[in-house]
Amino acid sequence: MPGHRTAEPDPLRGSIDLLILKALSLEAMHGWGIGARIQQMSRGRLDVNQGSLYPALQRLEHRGDIESAWRTTENNRRARFYTITARGRRELGEELEKWKRFSKTISLIVEG
Amino acid sequence: MSLLKGLAARTRAIFRPSDAEARLEEEFRFHLESEIDHLIREGVPAADARRQALVAFGAVEGHRESMRDERGARWFDDLRVDVRYALRAMRRHPGFVVAVTLTMGLGIGVNGIIFGFVNSILFRPVPVQQPEELAALFTRDTRTGNTGVFGYDDFIDFRDRSGAFAGVAAMTGGPVNLVVPQSAGNAVGDLVWAEIVTEDFFSVLGARPAIGRFFTAADAPQGGNPFVVLSYDAWQRRFQADPNVAGRVLRINGSEFVVTGVAPRGFKGMRRLGFWPEVWVPIGMQPIVQPGSPGLLHGRGGGALYVVGRLRPGFDVERTEAVAADFARQLEAAYPASNANVGVSVLPAKVGLENPAIIKPQILMLSSALGIFGSLAVLLIICANLAVLQLGRTASRAREIAIRLSLGCSKGRLTRQLLVESLLVSAPGVGLGMAAMNLASPLEPYLTPKLPFPVGFGPTLDLRVMFFTGAISIAAVVFFSLIPAVRAGRSRLVPSSANGLGLGRSDGKRPSRTRKLLVVSQFALSVILLIAASLFVRSMTMADTVNLGFEPRNRVVLSVNVGLQGYDQTRGLQFYDDVLRRVRLLPGVLAASFAYPAPFDTNDRGVRLYVDGLANSRDGTIAAQATFVGDEFIPALGLRLQAGRDFTPRDGAAESLVMIVSDSLANRLWPGKSAIGLRAHYGSVSGPEVTVVGVVADAKFAAVGEVTPRRAYLPLKQRYRDWETLVVHTRDTPARTLANVREVIAALDPSLPPFGAMTMEQAVANGFAASRSGVAIASFFGLLALLIASIGLYAVVARSVVERTREMGVRIALGLTPRGVLAHLMRDGARLGLIGLAFGLAGGLALGRTMTGVLLGLSPADPITFIVVPSALTIVILVATVVPARRAARLDAVAALRSE
Repeated sequence: MPGHRTAEPDPLRGSIDLLILKALSLEAMHGWGIGARIQQMSRGRLDVNQGSLYPALQRLEHRGDIESAWRTTENNRRARFYTITARGRRELGEELEKWKRFSKTISLIVEG
Repeated sequence: MSLLKGLAARTRAIFRPSDAEARLEEEFRFHLESEIDHLIREGVPAADARRQALVAFGAVEGHRESMRDERGARWFDDLRVDVRYALRAMRRHPGFVVAVTLTMGLGIGVNGIIFGFVNSILFRPVPVQQPEELAALFTRDTRTGNTGVFGYDDFIDFRDRSGAFAGVAAMTGGPVNLVVPQSAGNAVGDLVWAEIVTEDFFSVLGARPAIGRFFTAADAPQGGNPFVVLSYDAWQRRFQADPNVAGRVLRINGSEFVVTGVAPRGFKGMRRLGFWPEVWVPIGMQPIVQPGSPGLLHGRGGGALYVVGRLRPGFDVERTEAVAADFARQLEAAYPASNANVGVSVLPAKVGLENPAIIKPQILMLSSALGIFGSLAVLLIICANLAVLQLGRTASRAREIAIRLSLGCSKGRLTRQLLVESLLVSAPGVGLGMAAMNLASPLEPYLTPKLPFPVGFGPTLDLRVMFFTGAISIAAVVFFSLIPAVRAGRSRLVPSSANGLGLGRSDGKRPSRTRKLLVVSQFALSVILLIAASLFVRSMTMADTVNLGFEPRNRVVLSVNVGLQGYDQTRGLQFYDDVLRRVRLLPGVLAASFAYPAPFDTNDRGVRLYVDGLANSRDGTIAAQATFVGDEFIPALGLRLQAGRDFTPRDGAAESLVMIVSDSLANRLWPGKSAIGLRAHYGSVSGPEVTVVGVVADAKFAAVGEVTPRRAYLPLKQRYRDWETLVVHTRDTPARTLANVREVIAALDPSLPPFGAMTMEQAVANGFAASRSGVAIASFFGLLALLIASIGLYAVVARSVVERTREMGVRIALGLTPRGVLAHLMRDGARLGLIGLAFGLAGGLALGRTMTGVLLGLSPADPITFIVVPSALTIVILVATVVPARRAARLDAVAALRSE
């Protein structure tokens, strides 16, 4: 009998969600674009396993934080584009707050 | 909003998994190609770029898997696990599955059929436009309150001048000789029910013809037009559904009528508990359709017309009645001679017309009441039984559930699993019930009384009731399956191995109090149903166990109605004579004569006889049944002559009046004397004198209601009847004899249709059929209830055997004999059954009291019923408890102790 799945997201999962929402808060993007943007924003310091973006994207979509639709890229190719929703923006705000508090706490402890 | 969209995306992903997979593949491909392009632009060699891109992407299958998981494949996987788990549980307890299936299947099926039958008698609206707007108008005697039917002139005044209705029509009906010419030149005829209607009958009802047209105002004039509208069934059966039937010619009572149209399918006229008309003719044709009743097209203060009207917009029945009553008073003032004290009564006619003064056929009403009672009782029993079955598993499941909860299984998950399981368990039962649809048609003949004209109740299956019963029983299964989850949730881990030894009485593993109560009440209910059924059967068949008093074998019957054909007495008697002379010469014929009513005809006739100094009679007269017969009727009917002689051709109109009486009549009129040569008077002391020339043994002419076999046989030539049944005693086959007889009649009058051709044995069977419908319903329910209750009892005992296996093992190890085990286990089950039986008997007695009025000559405490039913039930109880208990008695002590 498999146990009941816990509702608390693990830290990595939570941070990927945060990064995706942050990336999408600027413009609608396809999956690869989001990955590239995260790399760019972290100046190459954060090496996320690219494929693991997709389960996160699906999860966010099912949660209602983002939407997706087929569109054509500038190279005239079909790609799935993701857009942040109003709910997603609220979520992003709250997550950022939480994250800032969390990192501040950690810094206090580690540096203190 | 976005939450909803997210939900929609999730739902799509769950129900269209292939779409989601395809999207995933495309996205992955796009990603990898974008990455490769990117790497090449950065200067990575093309050969390396692909490898690097794949490495950066990570394990494709792993991502795919985790997405599937997130997407809800997990939901499906869980469901699959639940189903597999449930199927395994079902396989482990086949008895439980069979019991639930039988309970639900029988309940759903039988309730659907029976309630459909009752529904069609009591509640089905006539299939016309807005039937709720229809109302019946009857005359009402303002002194006695008795309702009656209308005279034609009063009806016309009501129609044209009262303003009570938006539209109003009248009808009356009767049997007619119908002959349909066939293409081959020969003709097929029958006696059918014809409804005589005013020309606006169909337009008031708002019925649309299936073919052709109905009557119009042009069909109204007196002496009107010979038009006829066929019923849908008649069109199908007698005209092979000929699409060009309009314009075809048929003969009614010898006269030609032209078909104008066909009534809509399912329209059986407006009579609620009456015959189904096969033809409708305009009222102007009444003199031809009913040659024996002149003057129907005139008259006030009562007559023969049933009146049906459509309410005016905004009028209800009360307001309409007020207006009609006003108008009736005007008529009373205008025609005091005929219309004094003639008021009116308006009744809703949504389900058809019925003169409240005429007592409804008791059998039908009783059957219906029994049907409703039975339906509800069966529903209750089903639910109780499902509860018993499910609760029976509660105890054993409580532990399993507690363990699973403690292992971290969520309550929602558990609930869902129990839900899946109970739905799966219900499925075969629902299927079985639905299969009962195929039984509805073959069962209909048993539920429908046989009468000379078709009556019926239409399709006997009621889908709504089946659906209702099905839904209720599924709900019961689900509800009771969730009880263990609820209980387990409350009591946490209590039902652990604390009472592992399973000894003692307080271990909570014996049948629970609820279950006991359910079994007892189930048994009580089914006992009540069985008693009702038995009383019913007994009252119908009590008198039938004796011999009939006549010999039905090797005899055929066939009837003619020469009156409808317009024969007068001279021509009629001549015709009867000609028929008998020729039929007696047919090959194989031993005897032939006429009789009306013949044995087991649905009609009967009576005669009042006066005898000087008759005991126990106020005016010296008594009523007797009467049969009007031809000469030499005794051998033809297979009666037994006790004394005197048969009628001969010489007992004619010119001679002195004679009669032959049955033993019982002779004994009543002249106790202890030989009746031969003695005299009585017809009607009263001043009536014509009649001499007894013979005495025959008592014979049974009807199945129902015949309390006395006192019967007088009167010669046709002295007491003419225009409707007679030919009875032929033959050595030849019935089919050949009937064909020969038909030829004889066709040769004498080709336009006279013989009807009701059958063997005497069929006639006897039909005679019992009317009561059989009630008996069938009653027995159905009784047996069904018993069966279901027995399943419940069996389940309880079987369950407790399983639950007490260890206890029994210990007892056997301590020296209890298998016999002792058996007795021990049976005691509980039998006690429940017997308590139920006791309550049921008390209830049955009470029910019997209320049935007193309809039990024909039977005490409500009929000893046979109250001996047979309990003994039969005791046997059932014993079987239901012995079978499972025996299994326990064969237990091996060691295996039993290890059973947990």
